[in-house]
Amino acid sequence: MRINFWYISSLLISLFVIIPIMTVFSSFFENTSNYYQILKDTFLLEYIFNSIILLFSVLILTFLIGTVSAYLVSFYKFPFSNFFKWALILSFAVPPYIYAYSLTAFFENYGTAYSILKNLFGEANYNRSIPKFDGMFGVILSISFSLYAYVYILARASFLYQSQNLIDLGKNLGFTKFKTLYSIILPAARPAIVAGLSLVAMETLAEFGAVDFFSINTLTTGIYNSWITFDDLAFANQLSFFLLLFIFALFVLENLSRKRAKYHMNSRGGFKQKQKIKLSGFKSFMAFMFCFIVLFLSFLFPLSQMLYWTLKFPENLFDLEIIKLLINTLYLVVLSSLALIIFALLSNYGNRVTRDKTLKILSILSISGYAIPGVILAVAFITFIAWFDESVIKNLGFFSIKNIFIGSILGLVLVYIVRFYSLAFNGIKSGYEKINISVDESSYLLGYSKSKTFLNIHIPFLRNSLLFVCILISLEIIRELPITLILRPFNFETFATTAYISASEDLLEAAAVPSLFLILIATSFIIVTSKYILRDKDE
Amino acid sequence: MNKNFFEIKNVDFNVGGKTKVKNVSFSIEKEGDIICLLGPSGIGKTTILRTIAGLEKIEKGSIKLNGKTISSEKIYIEPEYRNISLAFQDNSLFPHYTVEKNILLGSERNKENNEKKLSLKEIVDLLDIFHILNKFPHEISAGEAQRASLARSLITQPDLLLLDEPLSNVDQSFKEEIQVRLKKILNKLKITTIIVTHDSYEAFYLGSKCGIILNQELKQFDDPYKVYHFPNSVEVVNFLNRGILIPAKVTGKNTLENWDLGIIEGNFIKEYPKGSNVQLLLQPEDLEHDDKSNLKLEVVDRKFRGTNFIYTLKTPSNTFIPVFVHSHHIHQHEVDEKFGIKRPIHIDHIVCF
Repeated sequence: MRINFWYISSLLISLFVIIPIMTVFSSFFENTSNYYQILKDTFLLEYIFNSIILLFSVLILTFLIGTVSAYLVSFYKFPFSNFFKWALILSFAVPPYIYAYSLTAFFENYGTAYSILKNLFGEANYNRSIPKFDGMFGVILSISFSLYAYVYILARASFLYQSQNLIDLGKNLGFTKFKTLYSIILPAARPAIVAGLSLVAMETLAEFGAVDFFSINTLTTGIYNSWITFDDLAFANQLSFFLLLFIFALFVLENLSRKRAKYHMNSRGGFKQKQKIKLSGFKSFMAFMFCFIVLFLSFLFPLSQMLYWTLKFPENLFDLEIIKLLINTLYLVVLSSLALIIFALLSNYGNRVTRDKTLKILSILSISGYAIPGVILAVAFITFIAWFDESVIKNLGFFSIKNIFIGSILGLVLVYIVRFYSLAFNGIKSGYEKINISVDESSYLLGYSKSKTFLNIHIPFLRNSLLFVCILISLEIIRELPITLILRPFNFETFATTAYISASEDLLEAAAVPSLFLILIATSFIIVTSKYILRDKDE
Repeated sequence: MNKNFFEIKNVDFNVGGKTKVKNVSFSIEKEGDIICLLGPSGIGKTTILRTIAGLEKIEKGSIKLNGKTISSEKIYIEPEYRNISLAFQDNSLFPHYTVEKNILLGSERNKENNEKKLSLKEIVDLLDIFHILNKFPHEISAGEAQRASLARSLITQPDLLLLDEPLSNVDQSFKEEIQVRLKKILNKLKITTIIVTHDSYEAFYLGSKCGIILNQELKQFDDPYKVYHFPNSVEVVNFLNRGILIPAKVTGKNTLENWDLGIIEGNFIKEYPKGSNVQLLLQPEDLEHDDKSNLKLEVVDRKFRGTNFIYTLKTPSNTFIPVFVHSHHIHQHEVDEKFGIKRPIHIDHIVCF
C-alpha cells in the first residue's frame, strides 16, 4: 500500500465523517439516567409498537404506490403517461411535515374541506362527517406520500433496463400479464425496490417533523425526549442503535432470502429495447386515474392547500422576509453540496486507486450517517465538540472553539456533511461503477498521471452523476428540519425552520407561506433536472 | 554483457495473490522484434502483459526494458512512466469520448518524438476505421472497438507495444488482411511488440519468436517453425493439436518401426539408442495417400476443410491416425472404405518422446 495524496485525503474524509457516528455508538456503553427505568415501566412498549406499525404501514404503502406507478409508466402508454413519468417525482418537493400541515389544514374542524362544503351546500355542521386524518393514520399518509418517490424512481430505473427478451419469454411460456408481472418483472426488480424501501425505512425512523406535529409517540419521540427532557444522550443513542439494528436485521433477512439468485445481466448483448403496450378504453382510463390520484394526493393537494392559505391570508406573505430566507436556504445548499461533492469525489477516487482494505471499511462505516436520525447526529456533534473543547483545547491552553462550531453555519454544514455523505458517496460510487477499471489502466498506459486521469477522464464521465447527486443533496437540505433547528445560528432561519416554528405555535396559516416557497423551490430544482433524476433514454 | 532490448528473468506472474505463471524467462534481442505468446484461455497470458505494463507487481525476478529495470522485487515503475502501451482484449475505450478523441488522446504521449510517429490518417487507413471516427464506443461493434483500441495504442509511439488478443473479435474475412497490415507497420516503425493470442496461425505469422504457456509454465520459446515442427514436450503437441503420438521402436540411425505402419524413415531431431521404445509424433501431413499401396487402413471419418480433406484412419490396433489429402484429389473415399498409405513412409523431422 502506498501512502499518497489520494490515500491521505480519502482517509481523513472518512475519519471526519465517522467521528460523530462513532460518538453515537460509543455512548451505547455509557450509563443511562433514570429515564430508561421510567420509560421501561411506562411507554417503552407503546413506543416500540407504534414504531413498528408506522414502519410497516409506510413500507407497504410506498411499495404499492411506488411500484404500481413505476410499472404503469414503464410498460404502458396511456394519456399523459410521459407527463406522469417525471411528474410523479414531484412529491419529493413536499416534506412529510408540510404534508401533515396540509392534511390537518384541509380536514380539521372548520378547515378547507369545511369551507368547500359550506360554499357548495350552504351552512351546516359538516365537521362531524369530515374524516380526520390525524394521529398515526395522518403520519403514515404524510410520510408515505412524501417518500414513495424513492421506490418509484428506483423501481422505474430497474423496469427500464429489463430487456424485452424477458417479457417475450413470459409470453412464450404462456404467462398472463399478471403472472409475467409477479413472476418475472417484480423479482427482477427486487434489489432496486428493496433499495428504495430501505431509504424509505431509514427516513421514516428518522422522521421528526410529522411525528412531532401529530404527537405520535414512537422510538424517535423517545429519543428526542430522553435528550430534551432528561438530558440523557446515552439512552437516546441506545434507542437509535436498536432502531438501526432493527432495520439492518430486516434487510439482512431480505438478502438471505435471495440466496444465490442474480438480478442483473451483462449490458453488452442480449438487451432488447422494450416496446410499450398502448392501453385503450377502460384500462387506459384506470391507468391514467391511478397516476393522477397519486400525483394529486402527493403533490397537487399539499401545493394547492398551501397556495390557498397564502392567498387567503396574504398578510403572512408580507410579514416574511422571503429574500432573506431564500438566500439563507440557498447558501446552505451551495456550501453543503460543494463540500459533499468534493469530499465524496476524493474519497471515491482514493478508494479506487489505492484499493486499500482499511479505506474500504472506513468508507462503509462513513456512509451509515444517513441511517442515524438527524436529531441524534446534531446532539452527538454538540457532545463531541463540548468534550473536545473541554478535554483537549482548553487543556492545551487555547481559546474555546465551541462558538466556532455550535450555533454557526460551519457546524451546521459539517453535520449536513455527516448526515448526507452517504447520498453523495453512493451517488458518485454508482457513477464510478460504470467506469471499467481498464479505462483507468488505459489512461495510465497513455501516460496520464493519477491526477490527470481524475480530471481529464473521470470528471467528464461523471458529470451527470455529479449533477444528480447535487440535486439530491439540495432537495434534502431544503427540506431538512431537526439538524437545522438545533444547530442554526441565532436569527438564521430557512423556509423549513420558519414553517416548523409557525406550525408548532399552532399558526398553520403562517406556516403556509414558507411551506409554499419550500415546495416551489424544490419543484423548480426537480423540473429543471428531472432528466438527470430519471436518467433514461426510453423515449 | 547482456544487450537484450527486453528481458524477463525468473519472474512469477501473480494476480490477486495467486501465481498464474511460474519462473518465466525470455528475452527480445532487438528493438522492433515481434514475439507471440500462445496458450489456452485463462492460463495467465493476459497477466503477463499486465505485469509488463506495470498494472500488476512482481515479488520474484526482474523485468528490464532497454537496459533499465522496470519491475523487480524492489523496483516498481508506475505504468504511466514506462512508455509501454497495452491494447486490452475487451473494449477499454473511454466511453464518453468519440473514437477519434480516444485515438487523439493517445497521440499526446511522446508528441515531441517523431521517430515512430504515425499520423491519425495513416492509422485510420491502416485499420480501416474512418467510418467510426465520430461514433461513441457503445455505437460500434466489438471488432471495431478492438481496432480503435489498437489504433490508440499504436499512435502513442511506445517503446514496447503489448497486444492482448488484438484481433479476436475481428471478422474472419478481414482478420488476415489486418494481420498483414499490422505486421507491415510494426516492422516499418520498428515497434517492439508482444502479442498474446490463442490462435496459433496468427502467432506463427506475426511473431519472429513464439512462447507456449501451459500448466503455469513457459514450455517452449522458439522460432515459429521450430515450435511447429519440433515441439519439445507432449503438452505442446497436445496444445497445438498437430497430430497423434503412436508407439514405435527405434531400429536404426534413421529408422523406426510401428506395429501397424511398419518401417518409418527420416531424420531424428534427437538421438535415441537402437532398440528403445518411443512415442512418435505423427502429423497429418506425414503420411501420403496412395491407392496402389498394399498398406490399407479403414476410413472412419472424413472432414472437408476447403483446401484439403482430413481423413481419420483406423489401424488394426485401434489407433486413429489423421491424414491430409488435397481436396482436388479425384478419388474420394467414403467412411468404411479402405485407404492406401504410400510406402515406404518418410518423415522429414522425426519427433519422439
